[in-house]
Amino acid sequence: MEIKAYSRITADKMVVNGSTVYSSSDGENINLTDLYRHLGIDYPKFFKMDNLCKAGFLGAETIIRDAGMDTVTPKKDCDIVLFNSTSSLDDDIAYNNTIEDDANYFPSPSVFVYTLANIVTGEIAIRNKIMGESSFYVLKEFSSSIIYSVVKETAQETSANAVLCGWADFLNNTPDVLLMLLQRTGDGKIQFTAENINKLYR
Amino acid sequence: MEQLILELKKQIIEVLNLEDVKPEDIDSQAPLFGEGLGLDSIDALELIVLMEKNYGIKLGDPAQGKEIFKSVETMAEYIEANRKK
Amino acid sequence: MTICVTGIGIISSIGVGRQATLDSLLTGRCNIAPIAHFKTIHSDLVSAEVVQSNEQLIELLGGGLKEPLTRTALLGMVALDQAYKEARVEEQRPQRVAFVSGTTVGGMDKSEQFYLDFLNNDSKNQYIASHDCGRCSEMIADYCGHFDIITTISTACSSAANAVIFGANLLKTGRTDMAIVGGSECITKFHLNGFNTLRILDKEPCRPFDASRAGLNLGEGAAYLVLESEASALKRGVEPLCKLSGYANFCDAHHQTASSEDGEGAFLAMSGALQNSGLQPEDIDYINAHGTGTVNNDLSEGIAISRLFSKRGIPPVSSTKSFTGHTTSASGSIEAVISILSIQHGFIPANLRFRNKIEELSFVPSSDIGLKVDVNNVLTNSFGFGGNDTTLIFSKYKKE
Repeated sequence: MEIKAYSRITADKMVVNGSTVYSSSDGENINLTDLYRHLGIDYPKFFKMDNLCKAGFLGAETIIRDAGMDTVTPKKDCDIVLFNSTSSLDDDIAYNNTIEDDANYFPSPSVFVYTLANIVTGEIAIRNKIMGESSFYVLKEFSSSIIYSVVKETAQETSANAVLCGWADFLNNTPDVLLMLLQRTGDGKIQFTAENINKLYR
Repeated sequence: MEQLILELKKQIIEVLNLEDVKPEDIDSQAPLFGEGLGLDSIDALELIVLMEKNYGIKLGDPAQGKEIFKSVETMAEYIEANRKK
Repeated sequence: MTICVTGIGIISSIGVGRQATLDSLLTGRCNIAPIAHFKTIHSDLVSAEVVQSNEQLIELLGGGLKEPLTRTALLGMVALDQAYKEARVEEQRPQRVAFVSGTTVGGMDKSEQFYLDFLNNDSKNQYIASHDCGRCSEMIADYCGHFDIITTISTACSSAANAVIFGANLLKTGRTDMAIVGGSECITKFHLNGFNTLRILDKEPCRPFDASRAGLNLGEGAAYLVLESEASALKRGVEPLCKLSGYANFCDAHHQTASSEDGEGAFLAMSGALQNSGLQPEDIDYINAHGTGTVNNDLSEGIAISRLFSKRGIPPVSSTKSFTGHTTSASGSIEAVISILSIQHGFIPANLRFRNKIEELSFVPSSDIGLKVDVNNVLTNSFGFGGNDTTLIFSKYKKE
């Protein structure tokens, strides 16, 4: 498969297909709501998401729209396979904050919903009507070889025409996202290999 | 009542993260769910938490929410009649 | 490649091991009762707890186990040990063996118990390392022996079913010679309280596919299946119990937790699995539904079943969560084992406590206890939050 498009969100900037589309002001960590506004997206559900979903959503949004995919046609031949290392820890902490204090004990249903890392694949699927296989893997650390082999096997099994895959992590106010949109055949510029995943991530 | 309605609108915007909505955008009599604000089942649960947290109202059966959350006005009426704080 | 199941292991509230599970299913015995072992303020709730305490589980495992030991790990060890022995893994070991286990709460039970200790002193810090889901799989694996690949799948209530798919893919792509797959999960405050905030827990024993259904009961347990190619089973001289003939995972792409009105994700998963198996809807003799007992799931899943099967007649459908409760991340493999038992012993597991038909659906679940029929192909559904919908199909094994 080939990498048709990719996006990278780090502590201070967002890069799409190699060009920086947004950077935060000096020394500050990137604010995902500011990034959302900068990208001119209109999707109010964004504000309800936890940080991991917001980061994954923004990473996906840019490359999916660029690829000319719409948000309404059901896409049964597109899979989503994501990975990270901190699972939903950022939201787990937020949920714990709603139950920590006996005197102010109001567990939040909407925060609880996001205490599963794979909700980020769900949010991207809902937005884009992507209905192929969706999976989420938690790894000890970023590993281009594991991402490569798992995604390759998934695509082989489902014979999907497109796969949105990559790394989506968020903790301590810091996003770490590398999303790639793969297709079976294209211009052949970037092949989907462990080495190339590594290059795009570093 | 008017004041409670405004207060409720602000609280709804806050707890449901309706970032781009202002209190004056919400029609007090319009349905909260379905069209309009586009709220869903999780939002309904969050409104149940809001009533308990801010007004001391415990809703035993979530199905009751259907009637109560018809609009901001019906919600305000219910709170007015049942509030503990 | 024909993938065979050559061993199964199971523990749930209705029994330890295949025989006890079968007896319960055939006699309609379930154990959904007020919460006993588990400490919670929600004493008004019922659940499907595994009868054995942690100490009794350790005894079952022959004792002498070293801490840290989480309940999810202990349940998993009991189930894995049975599967491991039935498939004679130790005696006739293939070259490479993988272990794929689903869990979502991992070591949360102990984290809840020791959390304040973590904060105040460090003495119990061995339970920090046992908190994450992956550590649970490693503890389970370590009890049984040596594995070349150990990995964990965490997709909420479809975790164990996705572990089956993952294991099958490892076999098909030649990365392993045998894959032991499934899931384990104990009840924790974290998800009991979470499900309670979502208002989907019924205070009464659950009534899947009944008009009066009002939610699910949490259960706990573990189950594992030994998967290998037919060639490997024959070579090892182990008789296959059945075939894994098809599987698929699709996304409902509708809502974070709720299922869509038309059950599109479920429909795609079931049709995808049929396609993958080369079977037609009319070949399916029994549908083991996800059937949680929530208003939303059963209607959505029921609509999807009607859409796919009504043309040629809907086969018997039941939710065995009416026996085991909803064992969340373990449910996919627990229900896979129940499906396999249904093939091996020729019966339809009952949908307990059904009284009234859901108005919008064209079928009622199969509620006869111990209904004997020849079962060749079973389709079993597992749906998780995130719209993560998985279907597995198991078929009677016939030597080619």
